[in-house]
Amino acid sequence: RGAGAMWRALSGARWPLPALSRGLAKSAGPRSARHLREEEEAAPVFQYAGKAARRKDRVFVWGFCYSGALGVPSFVKPDVGWKKPRRIQATPYRLETEEKISSAACGYGFTLLSSSTTDITKVWGMGLNKDSQLGFQRSRRDRTKGYEYVLEPSPVPLPLEKPQQTRVLQVSCGRAHSLILTDSEGVFTMGNNSYGQCGRKVVEDETYGESHLIHQLTEFDSRVVQVVCGQDHSLFRTKKGAVYACGWGADGQTGLGHYNITSVPTKLRGDIAGVNIIQVSSYGDCCLAVSDEGDVFGWGNSEYLQLASVTETTQVNVPRHLPFKIGKIKEAACGGTGNVVLTEEGNVFVWGYGILGKGPNLIETAVPEMIPPSLFGWSDFNPDIRVAHVRCGLSHFAALTNRGELFVWGKNLRGCLGTGRMEDQYFPWRVTVPGEVVDVACGVDHMVSMVKSFT
Amino acid sequence: LNAAPRRAPRQHVRFLPAPGDGGGTELVATRVPVLADHPLVRGPRFRRLKMGAGHRLDVKSSGVFVLGIGHGNKLLTDLYNCHLTKVYTVGGLFGKATDDFSDTGKLVEKTTFDHVTREKLERILAVIQGTNHKALLLHSNIDMRTQEAYELAVKGLIRPMGKSPPIITAIRCLQFTLPEFQLEIHCLHETQQYLRKIVHEIGLELKSSAVCTQVRRIRDGVFTLEDALPRTQWNLQSIQNAIGDCQLRVKTEIEKTIG
Repeated sequence: RGAGAMWRALSGARWPLPALSRGLAKSAGPRSARHLREEEEAAPVFQYAGKAARRKDRVFVWGFCYSGALGVPSFVKPDVGWKKPRRIQATPYRLETEEKISSAACGYGFTLLSSSTTDITKVWGMGLNKDSQLGFQRSRRDRTKGYEYVLEPSPVPLPLEKPQQTRVLQVSCGRAHSLILTDSEGVFTMGNNSYGQCGRKVVEDETYGESHLIHQLTEFDSRVVQVVCGQDHSLFRTKKGAVYACGWGADGQTGLGHYNITSVPTKLRGDIAGVNIIQVSSYGDCCLAVSDEGDVFGWGNSEYLQLASVTETTQVNVPRHLPFKIGKIKEAACGGTGNVVLTEEGNVFVWGYGILGKGPNLIETAVPEMIPPSLFGWSDFNPDIRVAHVRCGLSHFAALTNRGELFVWGKNLRGCLGTGRMEDQYFPWRVTVPGEVVDVACGVDHMVSMVKSFT
Repeated sequence: LNAAPRRAPRQHVRFLPAPGDGGGTELVATRVPVLADHPLVRGPRFRRLKMGAGHRLDVKSSGVFVLGIGHGNKLLTDLYNCHLTKVYTVGGLFGKATDDFSDTGKLVEKTTFDHVTREKLERILAVIQGTNHKALLLHSNIDMRTQEAYELAVKGLIRPMGKSPPIITAIRCLQFTLPEFQLEIHCLHETQQYLRKIVHEIGLELKSSAVCTQVRRIRDGVFTLEDALPRTQWNLQSIQNAIGDCQLRVKTEIEKTIG
């Protein structure tokens, strides 16, 4: 071969040189449609979600951070030196939890999350713990002392008899005490008991901080199915439809016919004697109960016209039936100064004092006013949007629709509304949560929501 | 248009010489047409027509396209300032992702889509509608703390009356047969490429991928598909009828919104 080349070079013959092969390079020029189609068919297919992909359960929190109630330690004590502590989380922030949270409650500066698991740890608490409302949180630096502020969701030690069988159904938080409802071991109460709100006898000069005491309540006429904490009182609803109360009663919120404190849960009488109550609600000093027939009963503080439809007095200490002609009532929620009910048709009615949700002109009303459904997304284009649940914080309201959207309105105290803005909201406004909101718990200055992801 | 009968020529009075009684010429007043109005002097009436286009429609889309002729161009600016919503039918296909979000683009990725159900799609559409509703209220530049903002929000009349990013006021699924689906989108200030991007993002949210196969505008403010003239009807008579039909509607709409 070499001789041939040399011969060619020597002879100077001008052969046409063989075409230089370009190896693996492809020819340039427009790709024909057939080439494109073949390439497309040969491309690999990626799978991001299988056919049996499940929707995940998530928890989102927002509001005031410094109390630790949001459960994100980096808001209060940043893990990097140059970051500043965050005072307010104005938009929903995802909270990582170990288990699926089935019930959450926001108190005054603290939060309780509970899961219906049969594992040992069923309840987690975070936030203020100066009155042991989150149980005894042993400090890691000194084993004899407890934490005053809990910045991360920490397990609440419950003295259960059968910890691997009992399930926690619901939690509720008040100003400085909390209630945990289990399915077979009654109700556990912890926290401040200076007014008997924990259901045990008031001990003079008791120090509630760093206390190991968790009281168990089992003496009711039937199994307790719902527990509700007011500011300094507790309400228990049993399966038979009766309501028990204990705690501070100066505004008549215990509904027992007197204005003294009660330290043992006592059954309520008055207009709800013999009535099958299906839901109770309270957060401040006023209480509402809904019966299975769709009637609503109220007692407690009426300084803000919450019960002015039946009486002129500012305190009502016996449950009274509220004769509203707005239809059958499905759910009620009580706030500090305003109340909200949801009827069977899906309409939302508000009354009381404060920012009620019908614009800046409606400040107070004693008679329920309906919030137009178009503010919750109802329109001719979407005629089947309905409000499914209503919730109340101390000075704000929340509504959940059947499509999983969350609407909030009211006073935006330290960013508790979660809209991303710091102004008060005078009519229902959507909160953008990346998922379908299943339930929401409202506190004084923070909120917790349980959300299912979209896919 | 030029073959249509013209306006009659103007007449003026001229004193023309005419034979009078008993010989000699006299000046008689007669009415004669003005020579300047003669068709041979004037020429054709229309040499050019001013035409303006309404909201843009790009090459890969189809549907209602509003044009203004002559004096109608002024109405076009008024209609633009009304900020009325437009309705599109958008067709999509699951399983592919391309670089320009339509099915004629270069393939980027292929994914599975058997986990996608109509229920999941409707959930995503509900959340798109929710966030866009929020954007609608935010960009309309009304102070939320006033009573009139509340009243307008109740009636659903708040919308941005100035420049704003594209906003979808309503979206729903018309058809869903895997891998194809069809959406009806009501929007403001959008471009067709934005709608294709929305289809792509819906695919991403559903943990798959989607491309847009068809964008068809079925309504632009007051003009719907029924008023639109297809290619076979682009003649003088139909155009004149169409202009006559929609004049009243356009006038009432402009008065209602701008006043």
